[in-house]
Amino acid sequence: MSEMANVMTEYEIRELCHEFFDAYQDGRVDVLRRIMSDDCIVWHNVYGRETTRDENLEAYPNSYTGQRRRTYNDRIINAFHDGFVIQYSLNGVMHTGHKGALWICIVGRVRDGKITRIDEYMDTSKFAAWMGGPRA
Amino acid sequence: MTVDTAHRRLCHALFDALEAGDVAAVEACYAPNMTMWINVSGETITREANLEAVDQGRGLHRRRLYNDRNINTFDDGFVVQYTTHVVAHNGTEVPLSACLVAEVRDGKISKLFEYLDTTQFRSRARTR
Repeated sequence: MSEMANVMTEYEIRELCHEFFDAYQDGRVDVLRRIMSDDCIVWHNVYGRETTRDENLEAYPNSYTGQRRRTYNDRIINAFHDGFVIQYSLNGVMHTGHKGALWICIVGRVRDGKITRIDEYMDTSKFAAWMGGPRA
Repeated sequence: MTVDTAHRRLCHALFDALEAGDVAAVEACYAPNMTMWINVSGETITREANLEAVDQGRGLHRRRLYNDRNINTFDDGFVVQYTTHVVAHNGTEVPLSACLVAEVRDGKISKLFEYLDTTQFRSRARTR
């Protein structure tokens, strides 16, 4: 990152975005804690409320319930001066073997090489199809 | 005019036209081969299908506002986070947070991607 000013380049913002999603994919909570600012806020359209970084990371293991694997694919990233928007497919493989996909959009704000805010948009009506039914 | 200003104006022009139910003004924002993808269906619709939906949607509610427009622009497009505030004919009001990503070419919108949560809209409409 440039030392002249705490302004991140487009490349740095894109790299930070990929680092975030790679860490989420690989379960690297330590990396997530490093690249999310201490005061990072995560807002979900599903709940309409904000959570702190620590609340979000504490909930991370539970978010994997019933899932064998999650990958964050088809990442379309556009960067603006202090953030990014990413459109992606969340592909999941459940313990039942069922495979599901969700289309999600996240708007992130960045400062000093870290993510300071995340706004997540998804459609919960797709959750049932994403999880699939119980094992036959 | 900077690209940033032009994209912001285009975004506001689109939302103002949608609020007013002005199909011609909406059409003026779109490139001839414009398409729109919606996370609700996962399908891409044509410009004509979109304009038809806008036209048919005018009578569904008493009023629909696009508030809290938080716009960020990039070279060939913009993202806007907003609250759709729907007032139904029976007076019930339903706010819905949504996000729209637009690709812009030659001053017109060439692609739209809309992300929203239909479950919230339905449950809020039901409980009011």
